[in-house]
Amino acid sequence: MKFGLFYEISIPRPWTRETERTVYNNCLEQVKLADELGFDHVWAVEHHFLEEYSHCSAPELFLTACAVLTKRIRVGHGIVVCVPEFNHPIKIAERTATLDLLSGGRLEVGTGRSATWTELGGFGANPDTTKKSWDEFVRCLPKMWMQETFSYQGEFWSMPERTILPKPYQKPHPPMWVAVTSPGTEIDAAERGLGSLGLSFAGFEEQEKKIKEYRRRIQSCEPAGAFVNEQVATTNFLFCHEDEKYGVEMGKKLGNTFNYLATQLISTREVFSSPSYQSLGLLPALRRAATGPDASEQQTEGMAYGDPARIIRAVKKWESLGVDCINFILNANEVVPQDQVMASLRLFAKEVMPVFAKKPANVAAAAE
Amino acid sequence: MPLYGTLDLTAVANQLPTLANLDTEAWILPKAEMLQLLIEVPRSSTDGLLPKAMHPALPSYVILAVTKYSESPVGPFTLAMLRLGTRAGAHPRGFMLGAVASSEAAAKELRNRWGFPIETGEVKFLRRHDRVMGTVKKNGKTILDCALVDPQPVSGTDVQYINWVTAANAPIDGQTQTMLIQVDPKYTFYKAERGKPQVATFDAAAWNAPGLLLADPIVGTCCTVDTDLPRIRFVMDPLKPVFQGTRRIRESRVDE
Repeated sequence: MKFGLFYEISIPRPWTRETERTVYNNCLEQVKLADELGFDHVWAVEHHFLEEYSHCSAPELFLTACAVLTKRIRVGHGIVVCVPEFNHPIKIAERTATLDLLSGGRLEVGTGRSATWTELGGFGANPDTTKKSWDEFVRCLPKMWMQETFSYQGEFWSMPERTILPKPYQKPHPPMWVAVTSPGTEIDAAERGLGSLGLSFAGFEEQEKKIKEYRRRIQSCEPAGAFVNEQVATTNFLFCHEDEKYGVEMGKKLGNTFNYLATQLISTREVFSSPSYQSLGLLPALRRAATGPDASEQQTEGMAYGDPARIIRAVKKWESLGVDCINFILNANEVVPQDQVMASLRLFAKEVMPVFAKKPANVAAAAE
Repeated sequence: MPLYGTLDLTAVANQLPTLANLDTEAWILPKAEMLQLLIEVPRSSTDGLLPKAMHPALPSYVILAVTKYSESPVGPFTLAMLRLGTRAGAHPRGFMLGAVASSEAAAKELRNRWGFPIETGEVKFLRRHDRVMGTVKKNGKTILDCALVDPQPVSGTDVQYINWVTAANAPIDGQTQTMLIQVDPKYTFYKAERGKPQVATFDAAAWNAPGLLLADPIVGTCCTVDTDLPRIRFVMDPLKPVFQGTRRIRESRVDE
């Protein structure tokens, strides 16, 4: 089992220049500590215009800062929006290659298409075509990274032959993922040989079904890149505390705040009738969970909050379902004080991570 | 946390409809034809229109709807509504700002049973091959002239209608109080089309929304549906956040 951090970069009102800067600095401090503690990944979303919920509109810059501050932790675009109005594919190839170089080959590239009208409408994108443009981008990116020269004539973008520079540090190219929120996207991931970057908070049963289907389908995939990245990551909240009751209480506060902010987003389906957005993505589950920012009843199964023993039980369950990596949201609207976020990371690393550490080969052999 | 509206409904209680009780019987409304246009509006122009209990939608948008009800307990009528996109706690809702019905009987019942802020006027729903049009006249003056242009077939499963909220006075706990009322029709789709919204005339003040400016069109739909106006199940305190001030006054419908 691998562990990562997952950043939306949620910033409460009032937005003074100091509050935004402080939250960004808090995140960087957390990443630096996570690197020292042995966490495997730090992911950052690309979101635009999502007030309080996510101020992470330039993740490549945030991730560059993370890369410079750290030595080992892998940095993940989680995700880069593969819609031409948001990002030109040439720029994606160039930016990601540069980040891979600066991080010394520690980049993971998550892909996706945006789920909110707030964002799609803001960029003037057509919701009907985002799945198609995502597919084009995903097919092109590995070629742009690997081929010395590249040209392309497509439905959503074209370019004459040019040399796209620089090239990534990792060869043949960084691992690729796709954000999985809407039902069926795990199949999209599997059929293209992409990692499944789960961004929903569904319960065990639903996740198990998705993972089984992903594992089955990826066996016969036609990879979009040069290799198959068979990995299943899921998202969770983390608050680890010696006192179980306090840990659960604070974890719920974090989860409820995040969920309540998320439900304020205008999903594309809510306003724009489109066959491309038949599902509300993660919103139905969040709305069921989010009766309010101070809801007290909700306890979604499998959440990683409480004391270490409780969290170990939750992680073991995810592991048994076939999850390879859990990415943790540490805060929302800064409801968890920074010193407690840092203490939670330390305690998790001390008490929980060793339980799931990969056994050295000689130990494993001896055990057999 | 999310922004809240600024409208104190208790201060304008005397302008709101008053319900005799919350025991409204449901209406079944088969084969209704619903034209609905969604249009973004500047947030600054909606600031004073949203009750304190609710969050604004981000971005702000309104729903212009013109519906032809061919059958109802008060006979056929056509209804036009202006709703403001909002959030009741975690849930998307359309807060009803104004409505006009083509028959006095319909207007009276909708006002008295569900708290519609409604008047009577000349409301037309016209379907053509190249567009579906809705027009509303009040006292001889056109207050809405809108259309869905170039309708293209889509699946009914592609269309989502969000529930409505009205503001009214009604008796609860032995006294008449100002409240928000959830109106949550159900829909069975027979036909759905999608197109571009176009608005030639919109008199904001006539829809109880002075200063409201229509900005960027989102999308328009025109659907044929079996629908209803159900019994009232939830009411909300107009001054408290909805997640704190919601009361269930009736169990869910038996088919839910």
